Amino acid sequence: MSDPQQPLPQPDALTGPFWEACRRGALEVSACADCGHRFLPPGPCCPRCWSTQLAPQEVSGRGRVFSFAVYRRTYHPAIPAPYVVALVELDEGPRLISNIVGCAPEEVAVDMPVEVRFEEADDFTLPRFAPVDGGGENP
Amino acid sequence: MSRRAVIAGVGHTAFGKLEGRTAWHLEAEAAAAAVADAGLRPSGVDGLLTDPGPTQGILDGITPHFLRLGAQLGLDPDYTGSEILGGAGSVAIVERAALAVEAGLCDVCLCVYGDSPLSSAGAFQYGRGDEAAFGFFGAVGLHALAARRHMHLYGTRSEHLGEVVVAARAHAARTPHAQKRRPISMEDYLVSEPLVEPLRKLDCCLVSDGAAAVLVTTEEHASDLRTPAIRILGHAQAHSLSTYASPDHFDTLPAARCGPKALAVAGLRPDDVDVALLYDCFTIVVLLQLEDYGFCKKGESGPFVEGGRIGPGGSLPVNPSGGLLAEGYGGGMLHVIEAVRQLRGEAGERQVPGAESALVSGHGLGMNTHSTLVLGS
Repeated sequence: MSDPQQPLPQPDALTGPFWEACRRGALEVSACADCGHRFLPPGPCCPRCWSTQLAPQEVSGRGRVFSFAVYRRTYHPAIPAPYVVALVELDEGPRLISNIVGCAPEEVAVDMPVEVRFEEADDFTLPRFAPVDGGGENP
Repeated sequence: MSRRAVIAGVGHTAFGKLEGRTAWHLEAEAAAAAVADAGLRPSGVDGLLTDPGPTQGILDGITPHFLRLGAQLGLDPDYTGSEILGGAGSVAIVERAALAVEAGLCDVCLCVYGDSPLSSAGAFQYGRGDEAAFGFFGAVGLHALAARRHMHLYGTRSEHLGEVVVAARAHAARTPHAQKRRPISMEDYLVSEPLVEPLRKLDCCLVSDGAAAVLVTTEEHASDLRTPAIRILGHAQAHSLSTYASPDHFDTLPAARCGPKALAVAGLRPDDVDVALLYDCFTIVVLLQLEDYGFCKKGESGPFVEGGRIGPGGSLPVNPSGGLLAEGYGGGMLHVIEAVRQLRGEAGERQVPGAESALVSGHGLGMNTHSTLVLGS
């Protein structure tokens, strides 16, 4: 799976803790201590109230497919088509781009409930998502 | 006679694969064509604004595009700059030029788009930051998410997307300089190569080498020139920089905010628009704009485009030169130029009879930026 040429995240001072949490098997969002807003990706301030009183907050890892796209053409040799890219809306609110795994592309639907499934890619742990009803668990 | 902004000159290169010529060659050619069209001399230009296109941006990490082009054109303008707004850039620099001439910052502002992605190494080899780790590459994936969302919410079908490119090709068949002049049928569309579903290759704009330029000046200044001045009746921008965090990012474009504003300044309603030049990087963007500009109700763009309504002879011709889908990727500046030609009545076989008002749009980056011009004869 882990091709050395696989494009990998480029963590910086803002996003590093998110990727560290993934390595521990935890999905974290940023939470504002002043207004309670939860968001991704991590930033220097709350995008709603501009407070800098922020803390990472572990979330359930459950959400739903807001929209998805089925790649039928391979754009990168380490990521062969077909595969599904989705915008996942977490139950806690924030949205993130990820993959839907554990089912055929034809089975993915908008609003489908999904849950996080951490997968290794080189030195990274990527938060991907699989249908909640458990289709195709990891062997 | 007043300082009201008008477009007094237009010009462009061929579009397609133009080997052996840099973007600078192309931009210089387009600039000269626009100045000649207006009957001006280069020394009459005192403003320069540029849209560097998708692959130029900031050159060599330090030289802004306008500086290098300005040096090559030998200009020492009173006003200059480059806009990095993706596909909204060309319309945005024409808008900025209108503001500049109306404020008296300059009298004749040259607006230039140019790029040569087909003949430059390394073009379009970009991912989307951390999202590339998930195989999320380029604008096509993003617009596929928008198309899927629209299908889910409103029952939009592949055939509705197909209507947009079938119309674009039918228009381009009447456009001598268009890159793709062969018409296609709905059957051709439906069997064409899927790229990122629900989008097919035919849903995507062309990639082109080419440059296009327009000259913005004041009504007063234009009265001495050889071409009929086309008035800039209204303009506005709106942006969605919060991207996925915005609740309706994939449902509604910022056009829903800047479209009504620009039309109101022009004193027009959507029904009054004779010809629409809608930024068409992907077919879905045309559908979204038909709704967000008020040409039809939200969610009804699919049925709206059925039966050739936006094609040649339709009740709302969209992109009569073929647009990004068939004429060539002109960054949005070719849309401005086609609007000018339609309003001058010099569009030949593809002329929309009696066209007196045109709406031109630009849309860019991750569906983040939008710009609108309303032009009138």
